[in-house]
Amino acid sequence: MDGRQLLEDDRERVGFDWSTLGSVKPAELGIRFAFGAAIALVAGVAGAVAGPRFGGLFLAFPAVLPATLTLIEKKEGTTKAWADASGGVLGALGLGAFALTAMLLLRWNPVAALLVALLAWTVVSAGLYFLFRATGLFLRQDRLASTSRS
Amino acid sequence: MTISSVLLKTVVGGLAVVAFSLVGHAGRPKRFAGLFSAAPSVAVASLAITAVVKGAAATVPYAQGMVFGTAGMVAYCLVSLYLIQRLHALIGSILAWLAWLLVAGGLYLALGR
Repeated sequence: MDGRQLLEDDRERVGFDWSTLGSVKPAELGIRFAFGAAIALVAGVAGAVAGPRFGGLFLAFPAVLPATLTLIEKKEGTTKAWADASGGVLGALGLGAFALTAMLLLRWNPVAALLVALLAWTVVSAGLYFLFRATGLFLRQDRLASTSRS
Repeated sequence: MTISSVLLKTVVGGLAVVAFSLVGHAGRPKRFAGLFSAAPSVAVASLAITAVVKGAAATVPYAQGMVFGTAGMVAYCLVSLYLIQRLHALIGSILAWLAWLLVAGGLYLALGR
């Protein structure tokens, strides 16, 4: 991993550059749609055949990540793909907040439950991101997980 | 669960993944964008359609199963950090599925059935 590139990445201003969406190729969107649709199909069929709790496992299956990480590595290099995966760890912890919130609230009001669960995902994953960024925990994580420093 | 509702979940799930991945694509820096790699895209679509088709109570066991899946997702991302730098993104991120299978499957077998 290129440690300098990761440090620069962490110093970059957080935001969204919507102009980059013009560079997304239809084939890349097609791949993501196909993987997303496939796992939604698997979750639905598994739920119908083996029970909803078993089907629910696949609502948190990382189906699209291999395609996403491979595309990032191809375009921007392994370090950027690695950075995306390291953000994915925090997003996955937020996903836990989503699932727990949904589990507790869905019975009463599904619309409100899903909105609150989405808010929980946003708050936990973004909150952890800014906490890691502000306290230098990303650097520690990089040192722990990295096989080589540069 | 009817075939039409499974097909609806499939299409809406795919579209939700595309929507979240576009937000992630626009996100800067890369670590921040990575948050959207683990967004609840399929879950939102699937749970919403289940609630409409089968009622609110039917969604709860799906969410319970998802809690175990989420633990697998965390394990997947951590293991992929190690494997990507050793084996590159394609092979590393596919092999890391084993971590999801072990953790999510193990928790389901131990606690979920």
